[in-house]
Amino acid sequence: MEIHIKNVSKFYYSGGKTIKALDNVDLTIPANQIFTLLGPSGCGKTTLLRCIVGLESPDSGEIEIGGEVVWSSAKNIFVPTENRGLGMVFQTYAIWPHMNVFNNVAYPLQTRKLPKDVIRRKVEKTLRFVQLEGFEGRPATKLSGGQQQRVALARALVAEPKVILFDEPLSNLDAKLREETREELRTFLTDLQITAVYVTHDRIEALALSDIVAVMNKGQIIEAGAPRKIYFNAAHRFVADFIGRTNLIESTVTSQEGAVTRVDCAIGSVTCRKQADMKPDDKVTLCLRPEFIRLKRGDADQSQNVFNGQIQSLVFIGEAYEGEITIQDARLFIKIEPDSDIGVGDSVNFTVDPENCLLVSR
Amino acid sequence: MAHKRSVLTPTLIAIVGFLTVCPVIMLVFGSFSTGLGAFGEFTLDKYIKAYTDPELFGIIVNTIIFVLGSSIVATGLALFLAYLNTRTDIPFKFLFRIISIIPMMIPHILFSVSWVLLLNPSNGLINLFLRQIPGLEDMAINIYSLPGMILVEGLLDLPIAYLILAPALASFDIALEESSKVCGSTTLRTLFRVTLPVLRPAILAAFILSLVRSLASFAVPSVIGMPGRIYVLATHIYQSVATGFAADFGKAAAIGMSVLATSVTLIYVYRYLTAEGEKYVTISSRGYRPTVIELKGAKYPLFGIVGILSMVLIVLPVLVLFYTSLVPYSMIPSAKAFSMMSWKHWIEVINDPISLLSLKNSVFLGVVGATLGVTLSIFVAYVIVKIRSHASGVLESLSFLSFSFPGIVIGVGFMWFFVRTPLYATIWSLLIGYIATYLPYGVRPLTSAFVQVHSHLEESSQVCGAGAFTTMRRIVIPLLIPGIVSGWILMATMFVRELTLSVVLSRPGTEVLAVQIFRFSEDGLWGQLSALGIMMIFISTALVLMATFVGIKFKPVEEGG
Repeated sequence: MEIHIKNVSKFYYSGGKTIKALDNVDLTIPANQIFTLLGPSGCGKTTLLRCIVGLESPDSGEIEIGGEVVWSSAKNIFVPTENRGLGMVFQTYAIWPHMNVFNNVAYPLQTRKLPKDVIRRKVEKTLRFVQLEGFEGRPATKLSGGQQQRVALARALVAEPKVILFDEPLSNLDAKLREETREELRTFLTDLQITAVYVTHDRIEALALSDIVAVMNKGQIIEAGAPRKIYFNAAHRFVADFIGRTNLIESTVTSQEGAVTRVDCAIGSVTCRKQADMKPDDKVTLCLRPEFIRLKRGDADQSQNVFNGQIQSLVFIGEAYEGEITIQDARLFIKIEPDSDIGVGDSVNFTVDPENCLLVSR
Repeated sequence: MAHKRSVLTPTLIAIVGFLTVCPVIMLVFGSFSTGLGAFGEFTLDKYIKAYTDPELFGIIVNTIIFVLGSSIVATGLALFLAYLNTRTDIPFKFLFRIISIIPMMIPHILFSVSWVLLLNPSNGLINLFLRQIPGLEDMAINIYSLPGMILVEGLLDLPIAYLILAPALASFDIALEESSKVCGSTTLRTLFRVTLPVLRPAILAAFILSLVRSLASFAVPSVIGMPGRIYVLATHIYQSVATGFAADFGKAAAIGMSVLATSVTLIYVYRYLTAEGEKYVTISSRGYRPTVIELKGAKYPLFGIVGILSMVLIVLPVLVLFYTSLVPYSMIPSAKAFSMMSWKHWIEVINDPISLLSLKNSVFLGVVGATLGVTLSIFVAYVIVKIRSHASGVLESLSFLSFSFPGIVIGVGFMWFFVRTPLYATIWSLLIGYIATYLPYGVRPLTSAFVQVHSHLEESSQVCGAGAFTTMRRIVIPLLIPGIVSGWILMATMFVRELTLSVVLSRPGTEVLAVQIFRFSEDGLWGQLSALGIMMIFISTALVLMATFVGIKFKPVEEGG
C-alpha cells in the first residue's frame, strides 16, 4: 500500500514564534517496504508520522494512503484516525495497564465487532507470530520491556492493517535487547510483506532495518534512498555527517577527468570518485569515513591518495582503537584494528581508495 | 471535539467560579452592609465596630499563639516521624502509614472531645486517676488552656504535615548526604548542614499548611477553648453569628475578611514554595533506597515514642468515647464502672429525633455530596490535565482557591448569599457549601489519575479503530476508577464530619452530625455525645468500605475473554 504525501506543511506557534514542524514535505512511501524517517530530535519526523496516522492534522497539503485521500486541506477531507485502518507501535508501547495480554491484542478486533471465535483465533495466531504464546492471561504490566514491546507489535498487527507505523519503538529498551529486537523486527516485517513506516533518531537502527531511509532536518526531507546509498553516496553534507562518523574537509575542485574528480584541501591533493559534474574552483566538502583510512607505519612516497601524518591520540574501545591523526594542520578521526601495535606519536602513512572519497555540496 | 472542548472549559470556569468566588464576594459586600436584611446600604460601621472591640487585641494574640504553637508541634512531630520512617532502621514501619492516614478518619470534634474527657479539670479520666495517687489529691491538669489547645490541634495537623514531609524525605538524593560525609562531616552535622536545609521548602510548606489548618480550625477552639474562655478568631466569629440576642453577620464578615486574607496569602506562599521545592529537592530517577541509619541502642526508646504517639492518636480517642458512651457518668475504669455499664446513652440517642435527623442528613450529604463533587472534579481535572490552555490554568487556580477558605468565614459568606435564595435553610445550601469548600479534595486525586492516563494510551486506542466513546468507556474510565474512588472517599468522609461550615449554615431541620455533637458538648451531655460520635465513626468507615468495595467490583482488570 503506497503512501503519498503531497506538499504537507505544519506549523506550531509558541511564544509569538512560528516553528515549521513540517516544511512542504513531498514524499512517496512505496508499498511493502520498510521506510525509515531518520533525523535529530525536533526534525519533524514524529509529526509526519502522527499526520499519517491522523493523530495530528497538517496545515496544508494532502495525504493519500493506498489510493484513498485521508487528509486534504484543499478538498476538506479528514478521515479520523480510527477509520484509517492502520497499526501503530508507540514509543511508550501504550500497553493498557488495566487489561491482560489477550485483551490488549484483541482490542482492535473487538472494536471492529468481529465474532468471538474469530478474535480468539486471530489473537492466538498473532501471539504465536511474535512468540508470546501462552501469555494471554498475563496482566500486561507484569511483562518485561521486550515482551511489552512485542505485545504492542502484536496489537498493531492483529487486524492485518495496510500499513504499520513505528514511533521510536526500541528507544526504551536497553542496548543488548535493542539489538536483538531490531533483528526480530526485521524478520517479522520481511515475512509479512507489509508497508512499514519507522521513525528513529538512531542511525544504526535505520541502516539495519530499512529498505529505504529518509533523512529529515528542520521539517524537510533532505535525502531518501537505500541504506548503502545514503551511507556511501549521500548528496548532502548533513546526511553524510548524520548517518555515520565522518571527517568533513573543506575542499576546492581542481580538475575532473574520466572517472575521477581531484580536489585540494588541508591534507593535500585528493583523488575522488566522480559522482557529478563539477567545475574547477567549485567549493565542496570531502567526507572521509574513519574506517576507510588505512594506516601503515613509517613514511611513504607521495603518490595517489597516500598521506603522511602522526598519531595524536588513541583510545581503546574494545572492538577497535579510535583516535586522531594530524596531517600538517589538519586533524582526522581514525579507527584501527584492536590488535594493532601502532602507538601515540608514531609516524604513519595512510591511503584512501578514491571509491571511498565522497564529495558533497557544502 | 474542538467544539465540545470550547464549551466545556468556560462552563466549568463558571461553575467553579460561582462556587469559590461567590461566597468571597458576598463576604466583601456583607462586611460593608448594615445587616443580612439590608444588603444594599454601604456602611463602614461593621469594620469600625469589629476592629475597635477592646477584646479583639487579646483574641488576636491568642490566635497567633495558638496557630504558631500548634503548627510547630505538628511540623516538628511530623519531621521526627518522617525522618525515623524513611531514614532509620526503626521497627514496625507500617505503623507510620497508619499514623498518617487513620487520624483523617477520626473527626476533629471527636478527637477534641476525647481529650476533654481525659483531661478536663473537674472529672477528666486522667485527672481522676492521678488524684488516687497519694500526694496528688489536688491534681488538675487543665485541658481548657492555650497549651491544651496547642497540643490537641498540633496532633490533629500532624498527618497533613507528615504527608508533605515523608515523600520529600523519601525522594531525597542520598548522594548529597554522602558527599557531605566524604567531606568529613559527622551524621549530626550533615543533618543540620545538608539534610534540613535541602528540605527547607518542604518543611516550610508543611508548616504553612498547618498554619492555614489551625487558623481555620473550629473544633479545638470551640470544644477546648470556649469552656476555658479562651477565644480565637474562629470562635470570635462564631460568637457574633450564633450567640447573643441578635446575630451580627456584618461584624462576622468584617473580621472574616482579615482571616480570609491571611489564609489566602499563606496558601499563595505555600504554592510558591511547593513550586520552588520541586526545583530544589533532587529526586533520583534510579530509585535506589537511601542508606538506612542504624539507631542501635536508641532503636527501642524511639520506637516507644512512636508507639505512644500512635496510641494517643488512634486508639485512645475511640476507646475513651466508647467507654464514656457506656458508663452513666465520668468515672475511672474499675469493677464498679464496668458493673454500671449500659446502652442507656445509645438508646437515648436513637430515640432523639434531632440526632436521628442529623444522622440522616449527614449520610445524605456524604453520599450525594461526594457523588456530585467527584463528578464535577472529573471534568475539572480533565480540563486541567488534558486541555492545558490559559483558561484551564484559570480553572486550576479557581479550584485550588477554596483550599485556603476557613470554613467558618466562608460559611458567613455563603449565608449572605443563601438568605437571598430559596435554598436558605435547606440541605442543598449545605451541599453547595460543602462542595465549594472541599473541591480540592476531589480534584487532586483525579488530576493525578488523569496524569497517569498517558495520551499514548488514548491514541493507541484510536489507531486500533475505537471512536471517542469506546476509548472513554474501555480505556479512560477504567484507568480513572482508583482516582474516582479515593476522591469519593475523601469527600464523603469530609462531608460526614463537616463542622466549621455547618455550624454557620445549619438551621433547625438541617442539623448534621458534627453540629449535633457540638451541641451535646455545649450542654455537657458526654454520654450521648460519645454514642453519637461512635455512630459517626461507623458511618465514615462504612462509606469508606462501600466505596472500596465498589472500586474492586468495577476493578479495571478485564478478565481474558
